[in-house]
Amino acid sequence: MSGESLLVRKIDWGTVLDHIPAWRANQVLKLLNLESLNRSSDISVIVLYNVPSKKLGRKDIVKLYHHMVSEEEAKILALVFPQMTINYIRDWKVEKHSPGLPEKIIGKIRCPETTCITNYEREPATPRYIVEREHGVVVCEYCDTLLEISRIPDFLKG
Amino acid sequence: MLSRGGDSGNKNILGSFPQQFENTLAGRDIISCRDFNREDVELVFGVAEEIESGVAGVEDALRGKKVALIFAEPSTRTFQSFYVAAKSLGADVISIHDPSISSMAKGETLYDTVKMIEGYGVDCIVLRHPARGSAKFVAESTSIPVINAGSGSQEHPTQALLDTFTIKKKLGRVDNFSMGMLGDLRFSRTIPSLCYLLSKHDGVRIFFMAPELLQVRREVELHLSQRGVVFRKVVKSEEIREIMPELDVLYVTRIQKERFPDLTEYEKVKGSYIVDMKLLSYGKKELGVMHPLPRVDELSPEVDSLPNAWYFEQARNGLPIRKALLYLILGGVA
Repeated sequence: MSGESLLVRKIDWGTVLDHIPAWRANQVLKLLNLESLNRSSDISVIVLYNVPSKKLGRKDIVKLYHHMVSEEEAKILALVFPQMTINYIRDWKVEKHSPGLPEKIIGKIRCPETTCITNYEREPATPRYIVEREHGVVVCEYCDTLLEISRIPDFLKG
Repeated sequence: MLSRGGDSGNKNILGSFPQQFENTLAGRDIISCRDFNREDVELVFGVAEEIESGVAGVEDALRGKKVALIFAEPSTRTFQSFYVAAKSLGADVISIHDPSISSMAKGETLYDTVKMIEGYGVDCIVLRHPARGSAKFVAESTSIPVINAGSGSQEHPTQALLDTFTIKKKLGRVDNFSMGMLGDLRFSRTIPSLCYLLSKHDGVRIFFMAPELLQVRREVELHLSQRGVVFRKVVKSEEIREIMPELDVLYVTRIQKERFPDLTEYEKVKGSYIVDMKLLSYGKKELGVMHPLPRVDELSPEVDSLPNAWYFEQARNGLPIRKALLYLILGGVA
């Protein structure tokens, strides 16, 4: 039995995000924007920081009780944190999920270019990015600015 | 009677073109030079030449049409040439040229401004705005064609069309030549558009001559690489002389003081490169010098009297190109 299992009880249904690079769990939570969920929901979140890992040395884990990460979110997580594993739990059973990569990311990232129309607060322009995985960047559909995939966590909205 | 390509039996600018030149621009937005294909460009040039030659009687081509010019940034050439182009084709023009005396000064959004203008039955919007992405945003917000007349430091596609039209007229070709781009390549909106348009042509070599701080943006480099365009960055000013003999055209841009987030950075680079008789003496005798204007001190007036100075003719070419664009986009009328 591993260390984290001793710390946290099992999930009947929900999502476990494992193999998050150490101390990056907050970025994962920001991307999921859980604060926007219905306040009356029975979701619980357990975050483990910097726990030992055979694969990564140290890692973070996020357990979401009674919340399934959406397919869109899963794809973005897989893009930004390629070493992360996403497990859906249904009726105590673990299903390892391997999402594809997103073609577009809509409304999740702030454009790093300050003069982009999407940074004009009162204009109803939602930031949209095209993913160019082979070049390691996403491209703002409005202003063409390139953002390295590794820097996406620095520009998450929310 | 003037009409779109495909119609027959009438006096028709497009009727004098081969069959493959149908009006592919009718009703289209002009947002980025990446959206053009080579045939679109040839079509614009062909119509511009017909208009320039006076063969085509286009005085009433857009009678009954309304063109809105929304300029939220200063402009001389682009605004005036679009204004004259629209009027001379018979269109009515609505203009917001000084945002300080429009509701934009009260905080009205670009979105609301455009929706209001559209409600007045306008057929086309010509937009200049300081925000990158503004033209695309407006195009998505309206059902009428939008022409990007400058979207911050992002693009200026109609300038690139007139630039390339000038090269075609002066050099006799738009393929297989070498071009130096010198000055502020980072904040200039004409540079990305010109690069995107030249990438549609064959055998164009580009030398980006600027200090690192003002070098061309990464998205432009990526685009050129993907299109297989040969380009080289020249960062050291002493290397420019060595490059000069290779160039057929030298395109000079002003350092865009107004776009520097930090004015101390501007102070570091202003006056970095100056094109004068001495620099031109290192180039080919027939080297063409272009500039989108306005200039400040990067292009010496002593060059003006040389046959190498293409820039005033370049500015004049804005009129036939913008007439051709309006004609094609709005389709011409009986």
